[in-house]
Amino acid sequence: MDWGLLITSYLQVFANPQVLLMTLLGAAGGVLLGAIPGMTATMGVALLIPFSFGMDLIPSVGLLLGIYCGGMYGGSISAILIHAPGTPSAAATLIDGYPMCQKGQVGLALSVAMFSSFCGGVIGALIMTFLSPLIADMAMNFGPGEMFMLAVFGLSVIIAISGNSISKGLMTAFFGMLLCTVGLDPTNGVPRFISYTTTGLLDGIQFIPFLIGLFAVAEVIAGAERIIRGEESVQSTNEKIDRVLPDLGTIKKIFPNIITGAVLGTLIGAIPGAGGDIAVFVSYGANKSMSKHPELWGTGIPNGVASTESANNGCSGGAMIPLLSLGVPGDSVTAILLGAFIMKGITPGPMMYVSELPTVYRVFAALMLANLCMLIVGCCGVRIFTKIVSLEKKMLYPIILVISLLGAFSINKNVFDVGVCVVSGIMGWLMNKYEFPLSPILLALILGPMCEKNFVRFMNIHRGNVFEITQSPIAMVFLVVALLVIIYSVWNQSRINKRTAAAKAEK
Amino acid sequence: MKKTGTKAFSNLVSAIIFIILCAWAWIQTGNFQTVNDFYVQPSTFPRVMIIGLLFFSVVLLIQAIVQLSTMKEGDPAAEPAESINVFKDKGVQAALVVIVLCILFTALFKTLGYVICAAIICAIIMYMIGKRELKQMVLVSILVPLGMWLIFFKILTVNIPMGPLTFLRDLLNMI
Repeated sequence: MDWGLLITSYLQVFANPQVLLMTLLGAAGGVLLGAIPGMTATMGVALLIPFSFGMDLIPSVGLLLGIYCGGMYGGSISAILIHAPGTPSAAATLIDGYPMCQKGQVGLALSVAMFSSFCGGVIGALIMTFLSPLIADMAMNFGPGEMFMLAVFGLSVIIAISGNSISKGLMTAFFGMLLCTVGLDPTNGVPRFISYTTTGLLDGIQFIPFLIGLFAVAEVIAGAERIIRGEESVQSTNEKIDRVLPDLGTIKKIFPNIITGAVLGTLIGAIPGAGGDIAVFVSYGANKSMSKHPELWGTGIPNGVASTESANNGCSGGAMIPLLSLGVPGDSVTAILLGAFIMKGITPGPMMYVSELPTVYRVFAALMLANLCMLIVGCCGVRIFTKIVSLEKKMLYPIILVISLLGAFSINKNVFDVGVCVVSGIMGWLMNKYEFPLSPILLALILGPMCEKNFVRFMNIHRGNVFEITQSPIAMVFLVVALLVIIYSVWNQSRINKRTAAAKAEK
Repeated sequence: MKKTGTKAFSNLVSAIIFIILCAWAWIQTGNFQTVNDFYVQPSTFPRVMIIGLLFFSVVLLIQAIVQLSTMKEGDPAAEPAESINVFKDKGVQAALVVIVLCILFTALFKTLGYVICAAIICAIIMYMIGKRELKQMVLVSILVPLGMWLIFFKILTVNIPMGPLTFLRDLLNMI
């Protein structure tokens, strides 16, 4: 590593006012876009890429990375405040973020999300800077068998996010995986559970409208019910925000979760096709399993928010690794970034480290700057975002509903998706009522298509011999870890149930 | 002791519903087209999921039956389950109104447009859950949908159906 060049590149990027301004604007735009349910970081980057046409490479990369990092954090804002994850990567943040909001700890939840996002992003950027060629080599060894086992490993955390009843959690997970199979078969185009005339479902159940309905619409329905029954205070919560960053005590408590989340996020982000949506659940499951008090997870603790937010921002660094080292985008945002590089006459790939090393180092610096800008925007925004929950509930619920329904429409500009959102809202409301956990469905919807597609590919390549998978050391490692996670999670959950029962008996 | 309103009973009903769903889905998979020279057929993956769902539904069913047969006062499973009785529970009635409004919103979205549909459901829900300040209700019902439409149309370039208010789009384009 050329340390002199690395330091000079960082200085050049951090001292360039145009790069600073563009990255700051990108981060602000990304946070706002990410906070709107239905608007993802990918859409933000795609929308704003035309603005970067006339700029030099580094300011335009700064703008796009700003949107990317800002969007990742922005998704957590709506997840915490209104129970509607702005982006799929924030889906696991609501498990602890929303209960924190209900406990009147909105400011703390937002500041922990912001601080963890920043730390996750910085750790991801550092790993990218120092280990990218190494990780890129590992990521390229992922074929269909390894991707299938990665999906299985991801699914193994279902028990950890199932709550009190493992059977109900696994039921909802299998139900979610079954829902994934609705539509055209991804390999050979055979319609399943639909006819060719059901055009709205040919592509399957759209994930984001389903996600918005399952959480946001279900929450509005349940909120109206609670208000009428007099079970919910209609008065606004006016939390006084003394500080925009978490205090030292909280940082000390959440730091191990941040490190684990960031490292897992970066590694998963580096695998092409696997992104923040998978990393957050893996990180949540891993951190919960390692916790001394797993029974508190899901009740609204900062550790839960920290573990997911550090993972999704760690992914931004991870996804850049295969892009720069191999010219293979790690996710949809880096695919758009690849286009931006090519437009500027630079082709990412192994030769970039030889012929364009200063550019590579400037991109590293731009990612670091993007995370810093996200922190600045986040700090300025915490007080403003907190005002949202200070709105009276009687006004807040209808507002959430009309924004959510619009968000569901905006993904594909399709009214059918609004219907999907409403149906999943009803489903979410009923499942919540009868204590079926919703997070396993989400994980199943994310990993189901990946699992099936790669399994079918693997079987076709290996002529139906499933045992060929034992020839892959990576796949075997994932399988063994998945089995260990399942065994540990079952044991851990029974420990949690015993503790909860003992605490109830004491009361 | 009345067992029908308990959590164990609701688990029993849920398990039966899921088992019926599994049976229906399994029958459906029998109608899937088969593809030659493919080692995994289109019905394979859904069937594996149905077996998984069925297995855990049966586990829940057995748990519920055991809980119901050995139920005592004070058991967690003997706690009352949430009601969905529309005739007795005013909360459920309110939830049902929200659901009906959402369905109407979806049905009328293209004809009436986003702003009108959103304004109507916003106002009705606010009134239903007890909001009575007319000024605030009118302001929120009109300004929020209009503001969201402006953001999506002008900044995010998403074309949203406007129904009779399509002239607003032309007006904005002229400006």
